[in-house]
Amino acid sequence: MSRLVPYLLLQALIVIATFLGLRLLQPSDPEDFALSGFSLSEDGITRPVTLPHFTSSRYSLADPPLYIGTFTFKSGDAGWSVFLPRFSNAVEVAVNGVVVLDSRRDANANRPDRNTPQIAAIPSSLLYDGSNAITVRLFVWGPLKGFLDTVYVGPDAALRPAFETRTLLFVTLPVAFSAWQSILAVILAIMWLMRRREPVYGVLAAAMVLGVIQAFMPPPVPPTTVSRLAGVLLASAPIESALIVVFGVLFFGWRWPRYGMLLFVPGLVVFVIGLIAGPPLPRILFLLLGIPTVGISLFLMAYVTAAALVRRQDAASFTIGCAVTIVLTCWVHDMLSVFEIVTNERTFVSRLSYSAMLVAIGAGLTWRFARALNQVDSFAGQLVARVREAEERLKASFVREEARARAAALANERTRLMRDLHDGLGGQLISIVALSERGQEGATITDAARAALKDLRLVIDSMEDIGGDLMLALGSWRERAAMQLRPHDIALDWRVATPQGLPLHPELRPWHIIQIVRILDEAVTNAVKHAAARHIAVAIETRDDGQGPYGVISVADDGHGFALRGDGQAAGASQTARGLCNMRNRAVRCGAVLDLSSDASGTRVRLQLPQVFPDSDAATG
Amino acid sequence: MTDQGETGEAITILLVEDDAPTCWRLQDALVKAAYEVRTAGSLGEARSALAASAPRVLLTDLRLPDGHGVELIRETRRRFPDTEIMVISALGDEESVISAITVGATGYLLKDAFPTDIATTVRDLVAGHSPISASIARFIVRRTQNSAEPPPGPALNTAKLTPREIDILWGIAKGFSYAEIASHLGLSRQTVPGHIKNIYRKLEVHTRSEAVFEAVQQGLIKL
Repeated sequence: MSRLVPYLLLQALIVIATFLGLRLLQPSDPEDFALSGFSLSEDGITRPVTLPHFTSSRYSLADPPLYIGTFTFKSGDAGWSVFLPRFSNAVEVAVNGVVVLDSRRDANANRPDRNTPQIAAIPSSLLYDGSNAITVRLFVWGPLKGFLDTVYVGPDAALRPAFETRTLLFVTLPVAFSAWQSILAVILAIMWLMRRREPVYGVLAAAMVLGVIQAFMPPPVPPTTVSRLAGVLLASAPIESALIVVFGVLFFGWRWPRYGMLLFVPGLVVFVIGLIAGPPLPRILFLLLGIPTVGISLFLMAYVTAAALVRRQDAASFTIGCAVTIVLTCWVHDMLSVFEIVTNERTFVSRLSYSAMLVAIGAGLTWRFARALNQVDSFAGQLVARVREAEERLKASFVREEARARAAALANERTRLMRDLHDGLGGQLISIVALSERGQEGATITDAARAALKDLRLVIDSMEDIGGDLMLALGSWRERAAMQLRPHDIALDWRVATPQGLPLHPELRPWHIIQIVRILDEAVTNAVKHAAARHIAVAIETRDDGQGPYGVISVADDGHGFALRGDGQAAGASQTARGLCNMRNRAVRCGAVLDLSSDASGTRVRLQLPQVFPDSDAATG
Repeated sequence: MTDQGETGEAITILLVEDDAPTCWRLQDALVKAAYEVRTAGSLGEARSALAASAPRVLLTDLRLPDGHGVELIRETRRRFPDTEIMVISALGDEESVISAITVGATGYLLKDAFPTDIATTVRDLVAGHSPISASIARFIVRRTQNSAEPPPGPALNTAKLTPREIDILWGIAKGFSYAEIASHLGLSRQTVPGHIKNIYRKLEVHTRSEAVFEAVQQGLIKL
């Protein structure tokens, strides 16, 4: 409510301003040359009248009213004309009995909704010095009563400016508006075609198309053709105004109620009657149904805009509301003239103001459309910015995550390396220290140091990425084992069943390799140190029991073997026992199965590799 | 065991090693095998020894007190193309061995190798057999597989290697003997050492400009 009161006050101001504006903008006529005293012959009665004058009948084609007057001409004044600012529907002007102007020849001049002026030059040969007779025959075919404004006769130079002004205002300007309207109609129709879900554009386009047809279709002039076209064209105004109400309702976001279609009924009735019945019935219906419909539509539109403004004040509702008020005021102004409450003129401004309003609405819609496009653009821009932001955040978190993963991997690797060094190199170095301190010399220390070096090489070797091919690790091991065996004169028989050797294990990690190689080392060391073997045979093959390939590595020597207890543990030397225990543990840790068999003819170590190496150390700790 | 050159003279070896015990150890093993061994404890000593006369074999450590063995290898390779060069390495790690190979070395000798192995290795080298270890072969073939980013470690151009040479390297890396490789690949056993020699030559980057060319070829340098 707080919005409504100032809005209504403003509309009241606009009404007053519009009335004042219409008064002030009334084109001035050359009053020096006005002729207003005429004698009128109408319906067989002759009486003196003063122009402007309304006829009593709405339809007088058979016996049109005849205005007879006189004017004074002074010879020497060159180029006189007769100027009729406003008449309806058509006039035939004669000077001294000779017709100088017949407006029926210009179909558009006779439209009652336009205020078309007419001017005609009076041939100088027709004029007498002194008094001259002028007759104006007024043809009236409705829908309103006939009207004849003051007639002006005088030098053309004095009359023409007023004529030009009226032509500009009431002929050229409406045509310009209509042209503009037709362009907007095309644009809006295209918008609607591309955006069917927004009927608001379609409705406005339809209203504009109707308006354009009405403006440019030349109305037939009775009685030459009794056309249904005239009747049909009468329907345009009520239908147009109803369409504008539909537009208003949709534009402000309401649903168009089904009973709202009643608003179209008067226009359609006029249309249908215009199709089937001849004049003057459509005109009468237009007067009774059409004009009130236009008024009701304007009031509804005013209400809709006011309601929209109360709900949500924005530039669009405010502007359209003011425009509706202006049109409504113009309509009331015209009604005052129609009902002869204001008698001194008949200048209809509804159509002009309505056209102007439509053009304003169309411009507003286009503006809104452009703004929507801008919003889409800026939305897209925001989206791009946000996506970039998110991307950067993601990248940052990815970098963080990567760093964390790298740190974790490094820590894992360090732990593993520590354990590997502790298992091998550390212990061997310590035993070197111990042996040196006891003053031992020669082979024992050398062996321990060589073992330490071998282990160091193994740890370094295992760190290299071998792409899951265990054969690459075994290749190096073969070299080291051969080097180890050569001084002992032990032959290493290396047999690989296929060129590929072992299946690829993408999940193979350095610590798997270290465990396997240490198992093999232990087997070879046992054969050298404790079994007094002469030959060591290493066999590498790939088996497949139907559940995927797996590798088997076996190390067999021809030494004297050792006794195994019932549980598979070595019963003999404690060092061998510990070595075997280590081998088993290592096999378990990388998911392999270790088989040991030993007798007097030699020892066989069979290592069956898993199909998939375990990801985590099964015996951590 | 005595090894003589083609002229019947003793084969000369220049041994460059800064750690005295290691130097003694290697020298003993080689002298016992009747090689004529001169020793140098630094890059400077090695250069003056080279200035005196060209050895048949150069055995050099990489980390020397006054420089890097790679420089010595490069110089020797340029001045005495007939000299066989080998790196002495504690661990036989790829990082040092490969960088030595790219300047002209042929394989490496482990510092803790048994004396007989040391003598055998040098004898094979002089006989024209270039030994290649499984780990070095592995390093090279892994490089032939990598396509995207250059892997860590020393730059190595494997582009010139033929598929056959790469197959041989795969065999060595997996621990197969020359005979096994030859039978797998349908070769004669005797041709395998020749292939290996070729591999060494192809991995060698001869000159600075060639090094630049290689780098451009591999996309390491953008011109």
